[in-house]
Amino acid sequence: MTAWDDLLGTALVGTGRRPFTLAGSGIAGAGRVTADSPEAAVLAAAALAAGYRRAGWTPPAWRGTLREPAEPDERPECTPVAAQILELLLGRGIRLEAGTDLLTTDWLTAARACGRRPPYRLLPELLRFGTTATGARRLVRQVIGPRGAWLAGHHPAWSWAATVPRGEVAGRFATGTRAERLALLTDLRETEPDRARELVEDTWPAEPAATRAAFLDVLRTGLSDADEPLLERALDDRAGTVRAAAAALLDHLPGSARAHRMAGRARRLHTAAGTFELPGEPDEAARRDGIGDHREPGRGRAASRLIQILAATPLSTWDIGEIGRADSDVVLGWTKAAVRQGDQEWLAALVRHQPTPDLIAALTPGTATDLLSGARKLDARFGALLAAAPGPWPAGFSTEIVGRLRDAKAQAVLRVAARALAEHLHPAALAAVEDWLLALGTGSAPEARTLRGIAHALTIRATILQEFR
Amino acid sequence: MGSRWTVARVLALAPDAGSAKAARALANPRTWSDLGSTSTLVWGKCQGSARSPYQVTVDLTEPSFRCTCPSRKVPCKHGLALLLMWAAGDGSVTAGAGPAEWATPAATRKEPARPDPEAQARRLAERESLMSAGLDDFELWLHDLVRQGLATARKQPAGFWDTAAARLVDAQLPGLADRVRAVAADLHARADWAPHLLGELGRWYLAIRAWRRRAELDEAASGDLRAVLGWPRRRDEIGDRVADRWWVVGLSQEEDDRLLSQRTWLHGEHTGETVVLLDFAAAGQALKVAHVLGSVVDGEVARYPGAGPRRALLTGDEHKVVAGSGLPHATGVPDALAQAARWLAGNPWLRRIPLALAGMTVVPGEPPLLVDPGGAALTLAPGTDVWQLLALSGGHPVPVFGEWIDERLHPLSVQAGDRLVAL
Repeated sequence: MTAWDDLLGTALVGTGRRPFTLAGSGIAGAGRVTADSPEAAVLAAAALAAGYRRAGWTPPAWRGTLREPAEPDERPECTPVAAQILELLLGRGIRLEAGTDLLTTDWLTAARACGRRPPYRLLPELLRFGTTATGARRLVRQVIGPRGAWLAGHHPAWSWAATVPRGEVAGRFATGTRAERLALLTDLRETEPDRARELVEDTWPAEPAATRAAFLDVLRTGLSDADEPLLERALDDRAGTVRAAAAALLDHLPGSARAHRMAGRARRLHTAAGTFELPGEPDEAARRDGIGDHREPGRGRAASRLIQILAATPLSTWDIGEIGRADSDVVLGWTKAAVRQGDQEWLAALVRHQPTPDLIAALTPGTATDLLSGARKLDARFGALLAAAPGPWPAGFSTEIVGRLRDAKAQAVLRVAARALAEHLHPAALAAVEDWLLALGTGSAPEARTLRGIAHALTIRATILQEFR
Repeated sequence: MGSRWTVARVLALAPDAGSAKAARALANPRTWSDLGSTSTLVWGKCQGSARSPYQVTVDLTEPSFRCTCPSRKVPCKHGLALLLMWAAGDGSVTAGAGPAEWATPAATRKEPARPDPEAQARRLAERESLMSAGLDDFELWLHDLVRQGLATARKQPAGFWDTAAARLVDAQLPGLADRVRAVAADLHARADWAPHLLGELGRWYLAIRAWRRRAELDEAASGDLRAVLGWPRRRDEIGDRVADRWWVVGLSQEEDDRLLSQRTWLHGEHTGETVVLLDFAAAGQALKVAHVLGSVVDGEVARYPGAGPRRALLTGDEHKVVAGSGLPHATGVPDALAQAARWLAGNPWLRRIPLALAGMTVVPGEPPLLVDPGGAALTLAPGTDVWQLLALSGGHPVPVFGEWIDERLHPLSVQAGDRLVAL
């Protein structure tokens, strides 16, 4: 036992229970100090020994293996102004009613296009951002570069952004946790979709149902006709969740055998007059293809089945000119089909017939804004459509819509679509927004607050674009 | 009453909590004019709701307050706010040659305030006897603690430590009070609480014994003792001046419910000396603009008496500031710790030890470490943003500057390329 341990032992139980003298302490220098009580002796010994202990402290040796450092990132760092904006956005230092996520995405998109990297110190915040904003992960991965991917490899919550060496993918997929395997698959699906599917197929029969269903959901990224055989096989799966996941994916593949079978069912219901008969109870083959008892809100069972069949039938089966004469069940089925198949021509035709937010949201920004710029009435319905329109909006449309909202005093539309306006307006519309604000005067009307929020977002977006020019 | 008061001591004079709060809000130099002080008097004009500003004077000897505001509270919020700014010691209340006519107390108006050596000596003796009594009391408390044992002390409620700290504050020993509070917080946070507590008890006891023999201490040791007890120096007591090119290598800030404090670590290019600048502001107030990390200030500092690393003040107005290129004095862990040992030999109470470390690799884990090429591992303090450190280093060995406190490294800056980045 060292002199220090002995001293500490006494101090812990107290001099009331254990005696202590400086002379017997064995502590260097104790002979030159006096103490007139055991308590004073402990304190004096502590004063002496603690000094030696602190000054003589030596660090423990670490015997682990250091990981390889990060690969160099050849991209130039973004400007200090751009870095500051990103820092404020990620740290919620900029307050926007709609939140800062979309502006962050704008920043990342601009940086990617410009080939510049964020400062290294912001990488942890960017990874935290991508961990919660799952929709932005792909963009985050592209922007953080090799240093970010390397950093992500040290933190389990960031594994979605970590680079897995090619040779290790199969091994990690075999041994990882479910979350790690899903992250690995999503990752691989972006670059090598076929290889990812092959990994799924390899272990498919041995996986639990929940994992099989989750794997199918991952295939949505990079889905192609090459995935059809696996999906077709999954239609016979013993688990309902897996069958449903497979049917949902096949809805996106109008060239598949299932789509062909659906087309056959749909054609049999199509009358010479151009109308549709309601289908009867589904037979076993129809049930296998996913026609079930799901009820559309406000529709009967048979009508719901018709909608399901039409939603899974290739739109090339029909003549686009029939939209005008079709009844509402048929239009709803076609609407679902157009959204799933992403058919721009049908989407646009259906919008002209009867616009819905779902249809608008599935269009490209250019087509959506073209269709909206012709609208006659700026009512709440229009507000909902505007709110659904994808961005970024072209400069011309942006300026035009701000002017029209102002002229029409369309406060309701402004309120409903405020978030979309802040997110999608082109910076060119900033002057129009500021003019409107100026005309409102100093009042604190709710619309002034909304407009200030929009102007703020546009200013930041304009700065981002300028810093990455 | 030569030394500045602590913020806690000022607030203790408040007649009620509302006055204390109002005073904090008012303690902002922007609403004040004609601020000044001598060793016994503090004065200033505060723009209130009335047309002409209130004239506020505090005589520190009593203390007594005079204010032209209509409040019947004694002291009023203006007097308290004035003392808060003066106690912060941030330079907003300057030491003036003499008070203006309006600020002079009626009794002394005819005779201009002149330092009265007799009164000064009496006040000094009063303060010293108050401190001596407080330290005697503290020694008895330490004896009780050691008699009952540290294991028993650890089971004491927080109030046990708070009471001891409050008594130290009353005895004008705020430095020791801070250390008692810090140890109380460590007791349940550290696995090695027992040796840590015993070491602290030893250092406190050393301060008591050193105080009793203060007449025999040299200037440096006496300065360090004053610092650990919390008896600050006035600006006019500061010692020698050194001119150098001072590299700003680390900034750290700390806030408790009363005080915001900031340390700026400087490294002298020619002298090789490390000094620290301290700035304070009452909580909620803004600090002076910090020196830019990574810059180089060409100028003179005045050093407080003490062993190294010494506290200092930047003096003079002519400072040239240029951009630096990283950490000029980084060494391996063994050399840095050898320097730390030399400092500790000079000042056993030294708590924050600056370390400038070269070639450190970040190893994330529980706890995260910094490892040098020889494998020497330093534990990073809890609360360190290890991910930012890892992102900035990219796994490469990098120079790191930090404060070494109780065997934990609090990193303050890291060199990335030829730039210093704050953590």
